[in-house]
Amino acid sequence: MLAGKALGGLCLDPQNASPGPFVLGNGDFFIEIPVAYGCSYSDITLTGANGTAMPDASDLIDKAIETGVESRMCTAIKVACYYLEAGLVRKPDLIITSNSCCDAMDTLGNLLNGYKPWADVPKFIMDAPHSFDEESYKYMGKQLRHAVTFMEDVFGRKMDWDRLREVCVLSNKQDQLLLEFQELKKAVPCPANPDLSRLGFAYDRWTGERVSPQITDWLEQLVSATEERVKAKLGIEGVNEKVRFLWQDLAGSWPPGTLWPRLQQELGAIAIMDYMSYCTLTPIDLTSEEAMFTSFGKRFLLEDPMNRQALHTTDFFCNDILQIVKDFKCDAVIMPAHIGHRDTNSRLKIVRDMCREKDIPCLVLGIDIWDKRYMPPDVVFDRISTFFQTTGLV
Amino acid sequence: MKSGLKSAVFEKFVKIACCIINPSIENWRNNGGRVIGYTCSFVPEELFVAAGLTPFRIRGTGSDQSAGMADDYFEAANICSFVRHCFNKILLGEYNFLDGAVIGGGCDANRHIMDNWQKSPAKPPFLHRLLFPHSSGELMANYFCNQLADIKGKLEEHFDVQITDRKLWDAIKFCNEIRDLQKELYAFRKAENPPITGAETVPVIVAGYSMPKEEYSSDIKTLLDELRSVSAPNSKHRVRLMIVGPGHDDSSMCDIVEDLGGLVVADLTCFGGKVIFGEIKENGLDPLQAIANYQVLDRPFCPKNLGAHPHIHKEIFDKIHDFKVDGVIGQNFLCCETWGGELYILNKELKEAGIPMLRIEREYVADSTGQLTTRVQAFIETISGGTL
Repeated sequence: MLAGKALGGLCLDPQNASPGPFVLGNGDFFIEIPVAYGCSYSDITLTGANGTAMPDASDLIDKAIETGVESRMCTAIKVACYYLEAGLVRKPDLIITSNSCCDAMDTLGNLLNGYKPWADVPKFIMDAPHSFDEESYKYMGKQLRHAVTFMEDVFGRKMDWDRLREVCVLSNKQDQLLLEFQELKKAVPCPANPDLSRLGFAYDRWTGERVSPQITDWLEQLVSATEERVKAKLGIEGVNEKVRFLWQDLAGSWPPGTLWPRLQQELGAIAIMDYMSYCTLTPIDLTSEEAMFTSFGKRFLLEDPMNRQALHTTDFFCNDILQIVKDFKCDAVIMPAHIGHRDTNSRLKIVRDMCREKDIPCLVLGIDIWDKRYMPPDVVFDRISTFFQTTGLV
Repeated sequence: MKSGLKSAVFEKFVKIACCIINPSIENWRNNGGRVIGYTCSFVPEELFVAAGLTPFRIRGTGSDQSAGMADDYFEAANICSFVRHCFNKILLGEYNFLDGAVIGGGCDANRHIMDNWQKSPAKPPFLHRLLFPHSSGELMANYFCNQLADIKGKLEEHFDVQITDRKLWDAIKFCNEIRDLQKELYAFRKAENPPITGAETVPVIVAGYSMPKEEYSSDIKTLLDELRSVSAPNSKHRVRLMIVGPGHDDSSMCDIVEDLGGLVVADLTCFGGKVIFGEIKENGLDPLQAIANYQVLDRPFCPKNLGAHPHIHKEIFDKIHDFKVDGVIGQNFLCCETWGGELYILNKELKEAGIPMLRIEREYVADSTGQLTTRVQAFIETISGGTL
């Protein structure tokens, strides 16, 4: 029931979700800002990713390929490029772009910024550095602060700073609940479908109800129901848990609905964690405006899923893997190695070597998490099944 | 590469450009000189020159078609072949002559050369990253300046040198002079019958990244004198073309074009026009800030930079005008999203302006020359309005 509500929220077209000015970006933005300002924010990459989950995804992806931006670009971003070039995206009132989290997003940002029909739309560009130290947080924070000033200049009204603080307090509360649910997932057997972390995050950040009291209610229900299940030592309904694995990538559009349920049902294997599910959010510091924006910057660079995994060093990426395996008692690591992820595909040897050294079974797939035609779900299932068998996990 | 140039210094440049370690570098090292490698044109050579080091820009020249050992580290189907071949050469030990390296964060794959190199047996004694902003602005230039200061400190500590402001200004002046000499070389190609072809220009420029700077400066001056005194034969070329895209550290594409009756008169590429057509302002107080401002605010832009396209557009259209270009070949390596996107936008704009463009996605090691030849031939015929 809870999953259904989140999925329903996700299906709501975020481009039409909120009243007020329409801000379009190529990636995640510090969502508390548009919520507090009273404008909608849509991430065109997310729109592209959602497109790959549609019933006509194959046709859509084929059209995206024909658009011809770059033949091996991430499919979700190709679809986003197609939507843009085909004139299917509502004209925004403001465009905000950054290079996070990858070159393909950068390219999409350039397409957005150079899109001729929108030449008159004001544009704000940010630089996300590939580092996570105090200087970088402040640097990112300053840009986010400048983004607010830019919005004020474009829309002719000031940010309500009290409202922004209210939204941040709500956001902190919701993030705390996400963390609590995450803690509960450490129980063996896992008490609830771990994908609810990912859905919860997405519901909280990407839907029309983002950072609203409805989200808090949803998360409180989730945590409360899960706590009861932990006390009763219950696992996921209908699943005989045998293997817990880390899916070290984005979930994608087809694996959560096609592959993961089958792995649960047939092998008792649950994807305990993926990029989006991994919550590392620290509270937004509200002690001063500078502290607030510095913590926004830290969130953007270090804690925002995908930015966290893609922007930084391989050592950092590997440390996350080890931490998750330890904390969530993972039996294995599966690297989907999505074909559009240049960072992941540049790290495979180091990850494999590390897993071998630490005696962690590791499987690298090489799939397209947005286009199941590239490596069909059945083939992926067989590979994972064989992997689990040969490593003695099932 | 077939060449009509009869020049000892040109032959020297060709020999340097077609291999990694070369006699000039060996001589430098034998006399106690140190060499520092780097990837990406955004790593400022001025910093190394000021430290008394010879900068050497890493490339994959001579790497096998399969990129061998590097494919363990970088997934072959999903990572740009330029990066894989560079790393292949690293793993083969051909860059063991380097005393250190600074890896530029030009793109996702390039950035990871650092991580992989660190874990490999070929790790040099000094290995650091330099992070570039992906957009322009005063805030970004200041951030980059701090990164430069950090690298400067690390260089000073490791190599036991003092990189003073005076040395930096001298290095800036010197590197600006070299860029001026290279601009002079390019200026020859504006002529109806240039004394140097596109294929011949490539090794001259690539050698500039691969040998001690003073020696290069002297040699390129000699070449320029020779070119001034050459009466160029009537070239049989039918179309004048410009190459746009990454890389361009070898003459393979120019060879194909020029064997088919075209002439490559200009380029905006990572090893060529993107580096040459700029100058660091020598009128500030802080040389690191001057370098940062140049790299972030002034120099010919890279598509990795959000908001770069209007500047790239202007650069290209200016070159089309100045070099009387008939058509543009836009080439990007497979899996290079930044240039792929840029060429996609450029294709539309050139089409609107009535300027023919051929878009090519290829591998760094030109293994499908047959296909490339066919496409280039058709392109030249289309522009020239006849068969070859």
